[in-house]
Amino acid sequence: MNRLSDVFFRLKGAPRRVYTGLRDGLRAFRATPFKVAGRVGKNVGLTSLYLVNGAAAVHLFSDYVGNVSPMQGPSMLPTLAIDGEYVIENIIGHRLNPSNISRGDLITFRSPHYHHRIVCKRVVGLAGDIVCVDPTGLKFPSSVHVLVPKGHIWVAGDNAALSIDSRDYGPLSTALIRGKLFARVWPPRDAVIFRNPTTYIE
Amino acid sequence: MSSLWLRCRSVLIWSPMAIMFNNHFYTLKTVSGRSMQPTLNPDSSTSRDTVVFDRFSIRLSGQLARGDIVVFPSPLDPSRMLIKRVLAQEGDTVSTLPPYPAAEVQIPFGHVWVEGDEPFRSSDSNSFGPLPLALIDSKLLFIVFPFSRWGSLAVSSPDRLPHGPIKRLQEAAVERERWRRSRVRLAPGNN
Repeated sequence: MNRLSDVFFRLKGAPRRVYTGLRDGLRAFRATPFKVAGRVGKNVGLTSLYLVNGAAAVHLFSDYVGNVSPMQGPSMLPTLAIDGEYVIENIIGHRLNPSNISRGDLITFRSPHYHHRIVCKRVVGLAGDIVCVDPTGLKFPSSVHVLVPKGHIWVAGDNAALSIDSRDYGPLSTALIRGKLFARVWPPRDAVIFRNPTTYIE
Repeated sequence: MSSLWLRCRSVLIWSPMAIMFNNHFYTLKTVSGRSMQPTLNPDSSTSRDTVVFDRFSIRLSGQLARGDIVVFPSPLDPSRMLIKRVLAQEGDTVSTLPPYPAAEVQIPFGHVWVEGDEPFRSSDSNSFGPLPLALIDSKLLFIVFPFSRWGSLAVSSPDRLPHGPIKRLQEAAVERERWRRSRVRLAPGNN
């Protein structure tokens, strides 16, 4: 508004500001309404750039440190419900200490079948272990055993009947692991910090 | 002093966008090792190749073709990054090379078969089996350094070239490509 009134006064021959020198003369010569439009455009551009930058920062945080994400699918019943639950995914822990994975952990990783999808399963065997491929006998006879190769782990869903896991794609390379499930935060009455339930029989 | 602080601060403030660009779009890396010889790091070159890698088309659209050169962490040791060429995609049947237990393998769903151009010094799918697409980090776009090797690695037809060492190199590359293709039987409906 101020600028527009500037123009008005200049047109009336009564400038509110005294323009001196070549630069100021040029500034006065330029049509001020255009300048206002230019300034607004610049602000819009800068604001959207800041928004994009902020979104990038949030995305980086959720990729490197951790995030809260919804869980879906029947493969982890009864530990995780089919729908409507939110969990905290701890990523920085795995980034700082990739070897800290033990049997019984809930881990998240990129699916070897669908590379866009991030899935959650439970670690059953570590490299060097001999695991029973399918104790339920659904996909393989329960007598089949394999040796988990170097750099790999064996993962399985808690609900063997409706889970796509190492029985389908074999041992999982540890390079695919993203992080561990830390806690469930939603729904609040089921909020829990996930503990490793494994007990070893000597 | 304060202007230095201001400059640092603005670099810090805008760094998320820069890191995002590097993580999800394009990145520069120097290739070390001999497994992609003579395509990358040939003996005739005095310095190692620095290459632009494309992460965007892998992560966001999943576009990958047979013959692309890709970078991924080794499935056996995630701290090592490997660079290999994609030979076959899901559904294709590949004749394997010695370290692999079976003579032929059909590539499972969501996987590719990767091999180095230098078959003897390469730890590739013949030692660790088909590679999940989810492991692939980026694909090679073009060489930026050394400047004498600037450009993409597309094999041009050697017929039009004048006689000389360049023609012979191109002929060898075409021969290798023919050999690679002869070992892959494409999935039905994918010709």
